[in-house]
Amino acid sequence: MSAREEILRAVRAARVATFGNAAPALPSLPTVGEWPGGADGAQATRSALVDRFMVSAQGAAARVVRTTRAGVAQLAASVADSLRVDGDGARDPVVLSMVDAVHGNMAVPDDPHELATLDLFVCEGEIGVAESSAIWLPTSRLGQRAALLLATEVIVVLESAAIVADLHAAYAAVDVGRESFGLFLAGPSKTADIEQSLVIGAHGAKGLTVALIDG
Amino acid sequence: MTASSTASRTLPILDAHGAVDHAAGAERFTADVDRTTWHDGALWFVREKRDRGAASVPEWERLRDLASAIKSHTLSRLDEYLERFERRATARGIQVHWARDGAEHNEIVLGILAARGARRLVKSKSMLTEECGLNAHLERHGIEVVDTDLGERIVQLRNEPPSHIVMPAIHLKKEEIGATFHEKLGTPAGLADPDALTAAARRHLRERFLGADAAMTGVNFAIAETGGVVVITNEGNADLGTALAPVYIASMGIEKLIPRAADLGVFLRLLARSATGQASSVYASHVHGPRPGQAMHVVLVDNGRSTQLGRGDFWGSLKCIRCAACLNTCPVYRRSGGYSYGSTIPGPIGSVLTPGLDVRKYAALPFASTLCGSCSAVCPVKVDLDQQLYRWRQLVMAAGGAPPLKRWWLRAMGGVLADPALLQLAGRVARGMLRVLPPRLARRLAGGWGTGRALPEPPRGSFRDWVRANRPGRS
Ligand code: SF4
Repeated sequence: MSAREEILRAVRAARVATFGNAAPALPSLPTVGEWPGGADGAQATRSALVDRFMVSAQGAAARVVRTTRAGVAQLAASVADSLRVDGDGARDPVVLSMVDAVHGNMAVPDDPHELATLDLFVCEGEIGVAESSAIWLPTSRLGQRAALLLATEVIVVLESAAIVADLHAAYAAVDVGRESFGLFLAGPSKTADIEQSLVIGAHGAKGLTVALIDG
Repeated sequence: MTASSTASRTLPILDAHGAVDHAAGAERFTADVDRTTWHDGALWFVREKRDRGAASVPEWERLRDLASAIKSHTLSRLDEYLERFERRATARGIQVHWARDGAEHNEIVLGILAARGARRLVKSKSMLTEECGLNAHLERHGIEVVDTDLGERIVQLRNEPPSHIVMPAIHLKKEEIGATFHEKLGTPAGLADPDALTAAARRHLRERFLGADAAMTGVNFAIAETGGVVVITNEGNADLGTALAPVYIASMGIEKLIPRAADLGVFLRLLARSATGQASSVYASHVHGPRPGQAMHVVLVDNGRSTQLGRGDFWGSLKCIRCAACLNTCPVYRRSGGYSYGSTIPGPIGSVLTPGLDVRKYAALPFASTLCGSCSAVCPVKVDLDQQLYRWRQLVMAAGGAPPLKRWWLRAMGGVLADPALLQLAGRVARGMLRVLPPRLARRLAGGWGTGRALPEPPRGSFRDWVRANRPGRS
């Protein structure tokens, strides 16, 4: 018997032995808005959701800048500038952008290893979650997802109208299986593996800026 | 730190019959009083963060009920969900493999790597591969395995296993990590600043990520409905590995299934808060197929899980989402350290899972608990850990697995407790003895409990006398 057959047979016998005919039902999930996401009330206003998102982002060590579409280019320029190397080995920051407003100096490569020297990556999020500041980024908005990890700084553009209260609302709004990859991103890479000291920038981006667009 | 002194600190202590002696392991750990106090405090700090995280969600208890019910349901149809997952994953271009045990898992992984000529593997945290002993197997076949989670890399460089399932290096001080990095990574001697050490590890591991032929991750959740897997990290190491390498292998225990993508709304809200107190982990990645040009494999591993599913008293342990909240809150774990358990998964959840693999060898683990119930109270999926610990104790005793002295003592105790006259007599004798015996000897009679403690002043009379005197008509 193959491993597959043997495991499935053992699992079937085991679950029948344990549960018999009294298998517990699959519960239905909370409907969107059933839980207000804190004290904001069931009909959380847009500004309450944005406020909550900003507080959560602070907890996740992300920076939030409220701006306009036109303002994103300027924001990107200032972040890129902070990464400029002068003097010995001077070079311009390498910028890869997936949003129209920002012009990078690098195109999405076929081989992700070419992103090893990336300084700044700019992309746009689909959904933001107020309770945790997590942002849904499907692979179509990332190009090569390695960019998100290899870049020193990341800017995620997010429409404030795309912020929902909690993860239940977020999963109702996105189809996670639509593309081969997608993630909820909350803040820059971090670790506390050495004596519980929080260190930002373990393997991935050392800084995450959310450019919040009030459309 | 030399290899032998490391090993002597991390290897399980076995008794004459080859069974894990948790008490002896705990004694070894507590011999360093300062480290014990510090370890206890570090974990309690995480426990407090968990409490704040839980308190920030008004519907927390509802979430726990839902999570428990979803897991119970899934386990009650696990074969069907596994087949559905396999069908959907395969349709997405993911190659699905089945492994009955650790050895079969390791052979499958080695086979995939060998077929691609892969020699350099980067791996993100996976307690399953620890359970299977994968690293040693691959290294024997000439494959370089680099654990990329910072804590796991630290213990790997020291030739140690993880001592905790979420914070693998929680038992180490930063000075010790600095010494290891100095020796292995060439950082300056005496460097012990967490920021600087993390930066050094980042540089060291970047090279490994960029040079890897294959990447491996564990799996937090596998979605039957969509055929995808979810991998969660704070560091980004899982994503960095899989975003670069041409081969991706995800290994998972068969209990990781959930029916629907939307169930993740429940589990992700609970998981990060229970593990570290964070509202969300940094990277919660949903993988539904390989990148263009990449090969992606999922290995489904049983290794004792189907047996545990068939145990009416213990199947609930398979609901576990490995948040480690039960370790962090456990007064025994916090003061005895992960290595004292001699089990890949230590703490309360390890003590109910591991005896299922070998009840004789791990007979001591269900006793490594005060049965205070704190583990069950914090568990986000409501595993009835204290009940299961108690049940294992009964089974161990019935199987004659307890040490002879403990067996004799418990039987004698049982006899005394069952006989009111004998109990009264015993109380009178004990009170008298405690007054006349030198404290040093009295403490010895209290067994391990007496070590490091002062006994209270013995009362003059019994509780029974007190009730008679103070609550007339009630005795
Ligand atoms: S048993 Fe519960 S508390 Fe312990 S690690 Fe598993 S999910 Fe967390």
